[in-house]
Amino acid sequence: MTESVRDRWLSIGMSVLLHGSLIVLLALGWWHFRQQSVPAPSVPINANVVDARTLKGLGTASTPAPTPKPAPPQAQPPPAIQPEGPPPPTPDELAMREQAAKAEAEHEEQAQRELLARQAAAQAREEARAKAQAAAAQQAEARKAEEAEAAAQAKSQRLAEARKKAAAAKLAAQKKLAQERKLAEEKKLAEQQAAAERAARVAELQQSLQEDERAAAAQAASGALASWQMAVTSRIQNAWIRPPTAQPGIECVLNVSLVPGGSVTGVSIGRCNGDDAVRQSIQTAVYNASPLPPPPNGIPFPRQLIITFKPTH
Amino acid sequence: MNATPRITPLLRIFLALLTAAWLAAPAARAQLQIQITSGVTNPVPIAVVPFAEAPADGTDVADVVQHDLVGSGRFTELARNKMPATPTNAADVKFADWKAAGSDYVVVGQVTPIAGGQLAVDFNLLNALTGQSITRQRFTGSASALRNAAHRVSDVIYQAITGIRGAFATRIAYVAVVGQGADQRFQLVIADADGYNQHLILESRFPLMSPAWSPDGQWISYVSFENHLSAVYVQRVLTGQRTCVSMRAGINGAPAWSPDSRRLALTLSGDSGHPQIYILDLSNQHLTRITDSPAINTEATWSPDGRYIYFTSDRAGEPQIYRIGATPGSPTQRITFTDEYNAGPHISADGKLLAMVTRDDSGSYRIAVQNLVTGEFKMLTPGRLDQSPSFAPNGATIMYAARPGRGQEGILATISVDGLTGLSLKATQGEVRDPAWGPFIQ
Repeated sequence: MTESVRDRWLSIGMSVLLHGSLIVLLALGWWHFRQQSVPAPSVPINANVVDARTLKGLGTASTPAPTPKPAPPQAQPPPAIQPEGPPPPTPDELAMREQAAKAEAEHEEQAQRELLARQAAAQAREEARAKAQAAAAQQAEARKAEEAEAAAQAKSQRLAEARKKAAAAKLAAQKKLAQERKLAEEKKLAEQQAAAERAARVAELQQSLQEDERAAAAQAASGALASWQMAVTSRIQNAWIRPPTAQPGIECVLNVSLVPGGSVTGVSIGRCNGDDAVRQSIQTAVYNASPLPPPPNGIPFPRQLIITFKPTH
Repeated sequence: MNATPRITPLLRIFLALLTAAWLAAPAARAQLQIQITSGVTNPVPIAVVPFAEAPADGTDVADVVQHDLVGSGRFTELARNKMPATPTNAADVKFADWKAAGSDYVVVGQVTPIAGGQLAVDFNLLNALTGQSITRQRFTGSASALRNAAHRVSDVIYQAITGIRGAFATRIAYVAVVGQGADQRFQLVIADADGYNQHLILESRFPLMSPAWSPDGQWISYVSFENHLSAVYVQRVLTGQRTCVSMRAGINGAPAWSPDSRRLALTLSGDSGHPQIYILDLSNQHLTRITDSPAINTEATWSPDGRYIYFTSDRAGEPQIYRIGATPGSPTQRITFTDEYNAGPHISADGKLLAMVTRDDSGSYRIAVQNLVTGEFKMLTPGRLDQSPSFAPNGATIMYAARPGRGQEGILATISVDGLTGLSLKATQGEVRDPAWGPFIQ
């Protein structure tokens, strides 16, 4: 930025210098031309043109510097200017005149040349200026473009950056979110896993406890059950007045219905190869054994009991 | 580890439920298995309620039945004074009362006059525990046959509850000795199995021995020493018609009917003085010698299949029981080895039990049984002088002659084959000996 400001001032300065030089040259030319009564009207136009162009080219730059500079050339003409009409020529005068005319011609030529040169110079200057201006403009343009480009670039960069940043941020956010989510999930998973593990452990524990207790219970129960079975068996065996026909080989199955108190409420004979006496005896035995001894540990009586009569000796 | 105390109470409840379910469920579904492999031989408690009696000869049918059943050793009665009621038909029986009185079974019945001066005996055997009628039947006959009808009721009840055919309505034959000295008489008597209803079928001044029923129940064979010589006779029970089938030189003794009632196994000594077992074909008087041993061979009895003859022989020194094929030249097999004296064999109708007289170490003669299948030997009677065992046709009881004490008259007694129940028969006048239990009456 600073560079461009400096450049601007430099260009302004140069432009002022150029304009000043041009004005001086113009003033000198005008003065010379006035003395020779050579064209005058076009001069202001040039100046004006230059000025306008300068103004135009400078844009808003209204620095006062160029104005005071042209003053010296304007102040110089009065010593040479003779406002009264021309005197008649003499030989000397003529010669002189001739010489003068020659000189004037030479001067005019020179002036012309100078003008031309000035013009050329001005043109050149103008061209240079224009060129410079153009260059400057171009430069400025370029700069501007560059700047714009830069800006645009910067902007785009910024945008890109912003976008990138945003994207990054977004990504980061996403990433973060994802990470958070992931973390949350991981945490959740971990928790779940932990819970599962805990549950598994509990279940395992439960199972082992269950197994233990069940085994213990089963053992106790089977022990108790076995002893109960024995008690029931013993009670029925003691109640069974075995008829002589109940010999080994006889096998009769009774389905016994019980009520909660252990009382026998029904006896039905299933498969039985015994005679009527055997059938009578086993039914009677079961009824006589009623009520049956209660099962262990407050376990309710089974509703049905299968009793097989199978004498072994 | 923290979880443990937290879950335990719940777990316990759960387990309790689980265990309960586990125990209850299989019992309910798979059902608990109870196996009964043995029982008791206790007598069966039965209440024989007095029958509704027709005015007859005063026979107490229920009392006869109860006596039969209890006498078999397989029943125990409910005394009448402990009966909760005296129903005479099933409809009036309050089972709970009889169950409470300890009776498994209740017998109710009536004796009613029917056409032709006959009587009908109706009875109903009830299971007091199940409340079911097991059997109900009617027997008819003359008033004089009321005891026999009662025995038939006993037979039915006995079979219904023991599974064994009853042998109460059967008869026995035995020898009674009455009078002394010159007035001494030998009588051949037929009676009901409980000793009642005696009929004299032969009376002699000479000894009578070894009566034997033919398996068809038509005939009785016996040994008579008429004219001081032994002879074997067969006599038709119904008519009293008799025939001498063997009056050979020497001993003619111990007749035994073959299962087909067509042959007699006899003990004959001939001139040799060594009694041998022969088979006499009653249809043609053909005689076949079975044993050939220089020893005493006597007291033949048939196996139920007729293939073998069991007999007593002292060929080993002391009397023992042997078996020989019922055809000439058959090999002989010694059967008894227990104790030094085993004699008087008798085989149960199923061929499984051998009853005999055995002399124990104290010199007492007792009735014993040997299981011919298992070889198991069991002493049944207390002794001291028990003789002539004879199986009831159902093989459940053995009748024998006993002399309770020195100098006392002989009596008849029964013993269950398990040896648990003994019973003396109704006292008869004089001494009784040589009982023979008759077959089932068809």
